[in-house]
Amino acid sequence: MNEPAFTLKATGRLRRRQLVNQGMGALAAGAALLAVAVLAIVVISVGSRGAGSLNLAFFTQNQAQGFNPKGGGVLFAIVGSVVLVGIATLIALPLGVLVAVYVSELAPPRLARVARMALDISNGIPTIVIGIFVFTILVAAHGQSALAGSIALAIIMLPLIARATEEVLLLVPSSQREASLALGVSRWRTTVQVVIPSALGGILTGTTLAIARVAGETAPLLFLTSLGTSSTADANPLHPLQSLTLVIFSYSDQADPAYQSKAWAAAFTLMCFVLVTSLAAKLALARYRKKLGG
Amino acid sequence: MEAIKTKIEVTEKERLPVVSEREAVFEARDLAVYYGDQRAIDGVNLDIYQRLITAIIGPSGCGKSTFLRTLNRMNDLVPAARLTGQLRYRGIDLYGPGVDAVEVRRRVGMVFQKPNPFHSSIYDNVAYGLRILGMKKDLDERVEKALRAAALWDEVKDRLKDSALGLSGGQQQRLCIARAIAVEPEVVLFDEPASALDPISTSAIEDLMHELKRDYTLVIVTHNMQQAARVADMTAFFGLDVSPDGNRQGVLVEYDETEKIFTNPSDKRTEGYVTGRFG
Amino acid sequence: MRELYTSELEELEALLRDEGKLVDRAIRGALNVLERDDLELADELIAFDDEIDSRYLAIEQRIPSLLARQTPVAGELRLVLAILYINLHLERIADYCVTVAKLAKLAHGLPRDRAVLEALEEMGERCREMLGTGLEYFYARDFTDSQALIEMDRPIDRANRKLIDRLIALGPDESQREWAMRMMLASRCLERIGDHAVDIGEQAAYLVRGRFEEFTDASHKPPRATT
Repeated sequence: MNEPAFTLKATGRLRRRQLVNQGMGALAAGAALLAVAVLAIVVISVGSRGAGSLNLAFFTQNQAQGFNPKGGGVLFAIVGSVVLVGIATLIALPLGVLVAVYVSELAPPRLARVARMALDISNGIPTIVIGIFVFTILVAAHGQSALAGSIALAIIMLPLIARATEEVLLLVPSSQREASLALGVSRWRTTVQVVIPSALGGILTGTTLAIARVAGETAPLLFLTSLGTSSTADANPLHPLQSLTLVIFSYSDQADPAYQSKAWAAAFTLMCFVLVTSLAAKLALARYRKKLGG
Repeated sequence: MEAIKTKIEVTEKERLPVVSEREAVFEARDLAVYYGDQRAIDGVNLDIYQRLITAIIGPSGCGKSTFLRTLNRMNDLVPAARLTGQLRYRGIDLYGPGVDAVEVRRRVGMVFQKPNPFHSSIYDNVAYGLRILGMKKDLDERVEKALRAAALWDEVKDRLKDSALGLSGGQQQRLCIARAIAVEPEVVLFDEPASALDPISTSAIEDLMHELKRDYTLVIVTHNMQQAARVADMTAFFGLDVSPDGNRQGVLVEYDETEKIFTNPSDKRTEGYVTGRFG
Repeated sequence: MRELYTSELEELEALLRDEGKLVDRAIRGALNVLERDDLELADELIAFDDEIDSRYLAIEQRIPSLLARQTPVAGELRLVLAILYINLHLERIADYCVTVAKLAKLAHGLPRDRAVLEALEEMGERCREMLGTGLEYFYARDFTDSQALIEMDRPIDRANRKLIDRLIALGPDESQREWAMRMMLASRCLERIGDHAVDIGEQAAYLVRGRFEEFTDASHKPPRATT
């Protein structure tokens, strides 16, 4: 056998480049690991502190009054959160879908670009600003209510839902629209009958993500629905209602460790809700994309 | 010799009606279509006749699909598209004032390159247009009739409630044809209907077109010349032309009976294209 | 699948069958003209050629269109080519029949010879048999015995030789000689008809086997000795 006249092994500069390549790869992997580690540490530390107060009563009873702050639970806050987020979703979902339909199906391209940019900007508005805005136009005149809080949350959800929906509407193949239009079906009927149904899965996952996002909002709610609330479960949206985030905020400030422990437990509950819904929504969206693409 | 005297009639081949007796469904007069500043087709004069299959062939970018999509105003969906000249449908200016594109498309159906059934059942795919256009009377009968006309009934009659996406590509395309003819259009346009299909399915679609010719006027765009040769009665050859301003546009080079186009074309460019010698 | 194409092929073959039948009747007619020396029948036969020509033309015109539009391949390509050639052979046979009719008209009223007429009749009948066999091979797509056609050609050669011997012996009478000349040409026509029938058999063989071969005939020695 003849020895080959060249080698395929890395030497010289190539060798150096290879080392740099490996070093940078390791650095990036380390950064990614750090991000995962932060999440894990947060989950573990919140969980371990809140575990003491996590029991059935925590989810099914209201805060015990008087001199026994250890007893009872935060049912009132859970009910409040559900009412707040529920009403916000009822407002934001239809509006968001309509906005998305306009932007992706009906608007001339230039207008669509403007609308899209507006959505992105409102998505970036600090939520406390939205809180102040709703405060000045609603609360200042009519007093605090869960409805005011829901409206603020709806304003936060709207661009999220609209953008998520628009994205899945764009995923619906244009051949589906053409098929309907070519039958002599109007633009609007086509959107309602063909485009939205095939985007429904994506719209719902987008909405779920938005819910997960606003369920953790505190700032706007502070002005709008926190004052004078009782610690008993109440579902009337016209009353000011507590929520999990407000409970975390207010209980963590208390001197009594029983309250602090409840705050941790509430934080853990909220975090689990957000994690699970986000994850489920992302998985569903991935499956849905595959279905539409294939 | 009596044996000789008895004559046997020659079975005359089914002849196309002579030009003067054909009834034109579409009449394009000096038709040009622009996308923005770009001229896609120019100076097209073409009559499309009733109950014949008209094929439009030509190289890529010659505007054959553009022309097809002007016939049912699908080009309206392209924001920058506009049109000059005239296109008449049964004497009515298709782009005249007050003409509603949605109504045009109801009369001029279309079948697309890639089968595009809705993500619903086989039955609902065919019933879709019928329901929306208010043709709900005898819905079952209409669906069956359309599926039969599309030569699909026997294959799907036991699974009408199954998803249309479970059908093979060729079956899906026939379903799309059934969906198009269910709403009883007068014309069906086919935009390269078999280019995504295997030869067996292609052959089924071609046979189907031959059947549909009895009731409908068909126009097919195809990049497959042999397909045009096989199915069409009339063939229009679109070529590419570069005008002095540098714009590349599609022009109608030759339009004649298919047999003439494929055995003795009048224009050198047509001959070059059909023989495969043309760039 | 490809229903239109299939029906076009079937129509084409039906036209050819039709033409085949007419040509057979033309040969029979030509023999009758010779046999009866019937001027009226001769004219009828000459006119009858138009019937055959119309089939010939119909096939001839359809084939380029079929080739261009349906691009037949494999067995179907061979079928179309075989039809194209057989059509031509049939038309030529019909032309020979017309020639025979014209020769009969020219020979009208001249003294005739029974033995010569019998030899012509014999040749003609063999020709019809050969044509029938060749076409049958084609229709049935069944080709087992190429030798049969050659064998049928032999009696024609024999009859032809007998006829020539007889014609030479006919004697010095001028009108007899004229009749003999005409009949010799007629004999030549019949012999050519036999050759075309063999060619039709060759086309049938091409269709079935997929390659073209000429049958061994009088001009080629047969591969094995025959009695």
